Amino acid sequence: MRTQLKLRVFIGLIVLVCGIGGGAAGVLAQSSGAPAASEVENLKKQMAVMEEQLRQLRLQVEKLAGQPAAPGSAGQPAASTDESATQKRLNEVEGKADAALAATKKTFASQFNPSISLAIDTIGSYKSNAQGFNPGDGTGTRDAGGRINNTRPAGADFNLRTAELFISADVDPFTRAYAVINASADAANADEATLGVEEAAIVTTRLPYNLTVRGGRFFADFGMLPHRHTHDLPFVDRPPSIDTFIGGESQTNGVEVSWLAPTPFYLRASGTVGNKLGIDSRDGVSNVNSRPIKGLTYMGRLQTYFDFNDDHNIEFGGSVAETPNAEDITNSGRFERRLVGMDFRYRWYPLGSGVRQSLTVAGEVLHDLGEADPVNGGRRIDVFGNPVRQGAWGGYVYAEYRLSKQWRPGFRFDYFQLQSEPLLVTNPFTGLPASTLNATGHRTDNRTWSPYLTWFPSEFQRLRLQYNRSDRGNAQDANEFFLQWTVFLGSHSHGFSERE
Amino acid sequence: MNLAWRNHVWALLVAFMFVAGGPASAEEKIYIVTSLPDLADIAARIGGDLVTVESLARGIEDPHGVPIKPSFVPKLNRAQVLIVMGLEYEHSWIPALVTESRNSKIVKGNNGYIDVSLKVTPKEVPTDLSRAKGELHPAGNPHFNLDPEAGRLIAQTIAEGLTLNFPQHRATFEANLKAFLSQLDAKIREWKIMARPLRGVRFVSYHQDITYFADRFGMEYVGTIELKPGIEPTAAHLVELVQTMKTEGVKVVVREPHFSEKVPSQIADQVGGQVVKLPIMVGGAPEVKTYFDLIEYNIRELLKAAQAAGVAGKA
Repeated sequence: MRTQLKLRVFIGLIVLVCGIGGGAAGVLAQSSGAPAASEVENLKKQMAVMEEQLRQLRLQVEKLAGQPAAPGSAGQPAASTDESATQKRLNEVEGKADAALAATKKTFASQFNPSISLAIDTIGSYKSNAQGFNPGDGTGTRDAGGRINNTRPAGADFNLRTAELFISADVDPFTRAYAVINASADAANADEATLGVEEAAIVTTRLPYNLTVRGGRFFADFGMLPHRHTHDLPFVDRPPSIDTFIGGESQTNGVEVSWLAPTPFYLRASGTVGNKLGIDSRDGVSNVNSRPIKGLTYMGRLQTYFDFNDDHNIEFGGSVAETPNAEDITNSGRFERRLVGMDFRYRWYPLGSGVRQSLTVAGEVLHDLGEADPVNGGRRIDVFGNPVRQGAWGGYVYAEYRLSKQWRPGFRFDYFQLQSEPLLVTNPFTGLPASTLNATGHRTDNRTWSPYLTWFPSEFQRLRLQYNRSDRGNAQDANEFFLQWTVFLGSHSHGFSERE
Repeated sequence: MNLAWRNHVWALLVAFMFVAGGPASAEEKIYIVTSLPDLADIAARIGGDLVTVESLARGIEDPHGVPIKPSFVPKLNRAQVLIVMGLEYEHSWIPALVTESRNSKIVKGNNGYIDVSLKVTPKEVPTDLSRAKGELHPAGNPHFNLDPEAGRLIAQTIAEGLTLNFPQHRATFEANLKAFLSQLDAKIREWKIMARPLRGVRFVSYHQDITYFADRFGMEYVGTIELKPGIEPTAAHLVELVQTMKTEGVKVVVREPHFSEKVPSQIADQVGGQVVKLPIMVGGAPEVKTYFDLIEYNIRELLKAAQAAGVAGKA
């Protein structure tokens, strides 16, 4: 111990001398202007020598510290030297650990930032025919075409359909919230991306009795695919039937209450009250006039699921949307809109190999039986201007087979009836305008056959090829080719309702 | 008159409420749901007669790709405790199901959510979090159940978790834990002797899930058939892998049950080696009914393969 002490004093002295020397050199340099280069060189050399000496001394110290004290020496016992070395190392380690720990204790305001993901969905297409499913009345004001196809030009087209930001986080112990902000290229505005809030909703997390309340703007719980974001669909385009009957995604502004039945099997019910159903819906969404309670849209859905065994299962759902007294924006009147839907999904997913080999067969049927014209919006009237209640059917069915983890071919068939503008039809017997015939509707059938093939290079990237052959009741038939390329950035975890 | 259908719907809902109300409250045993079967086996040992345990996934499934079945929802809704592996092992399915189950007891962070990775020191924690590295687990490799020493930590965590939820049964859980651990310790001693010839055996596997097992028994990972975790191999990657295996004399190819047999067999043929199908969870092979079976089966199968390929060491 004493040897160490002596050494320390010695080292201290050297350092002191150096310091004074250095200081003096500095003073000298200042008083005589710029120092000669040789002087600096000398100093440097001296420093190097001193450093070397210091290093030697340090080595000696370490050596001494490591050696047991010579027998009979006046120093401390050997064990104690060991202990102090250990103590020193321990202190060093503790110091490092403390520093590391302190470093992790930093707080950032951004630590509470919500989880964010971005979906980019881009489509290259070639369409033989720009016309939608309905030529409309030709004036442009009631352009009725299938909404998907008419928003983009015919022929060759590249479309940034989606750059969609998904943000979500818990709000507090009682609620969470999420928002989906979408920018898509607007064909009418030189393809400049227009921003829209697709969803922004608050969801309760700990209500009793298996209840959950959701409020804000959200995709209403109606049907199987209507509440899916377009880039999340199993196809490139939204099935024309649901696109026509609902008008894009099942968006609404409102409140939803859903309930999970405490049954041994899965049974879920939900009820929603909102301003509208359908992102592009033109039924009763005028916010200019005062809206009666009956002018709101009321929706309900019941869904259940059964496992046949480990590998086969089926899901059923039924949905209803009713607007008892919607505003007819075009004709400034009021009308009733009612939509009923049934859906099913069968899945063969062998437990051991489902990831690379499985089959999904699913479909949805919609029946529109209100006075609303699902295509033109507003009220449906006959030639005499009387409201017409018509039932139109629509739906799709698709099958998708998973060939491997990466490849999934599929086929979709879509059918819907279109309520065309009532035409003046003469009763062959009386020669008078036949309003009853009009009332049953001039339905035109629309059929679309769509084979498609999806390739997943990874979970976060997808390429899809699709061909649509459309036979349209009162428009030109169309051939459409799509190539879709979609990626997901950030935390892309599937919610329950987006499950595969 | 238009309201008739609405009345029907409500009548139906009310009827379901009555039907459903009965059986849910009649349960006496503690109902435990686990994500994976290994946890169910160990939890059943710790809980003993006090518990009913059910695993959502089966041993033959791809644990990363368990389908989100709505039939899991009522189970989670009734669960008093949910036991998961943690380290984001079940990130693609458990969080969505827990949210839908509307059972706040088993939400992460609450007592009913038992994460058995808490005591485990994770391996292969990525230093560079980028999806260019594949479908990474940000918290580290989650396949620690294949290390029997980690089995000890899993059992301890489960016992502590159950005690936290049901302190009145502390003594039972502790006694059961003690019994389980003493049996496990004896087995581990046995396995270490049994697995001696595996020391230094070099191997490849389809997915990077044998790490903990290999480290425990002294085996050496050379690579994976997957290009990156969760990413299917490219042709170039396979060529490179076979080349590496030839250069380094690797003869053992591990195939997990949920991956196809084709590629592993082709690789084994090319290097003149052996494919060995190793379950990574309890139930992954018909003989593997318990956690002990799992470890023992894997050692045996690897020994067989290593001996057949002529790369086994001395006992």
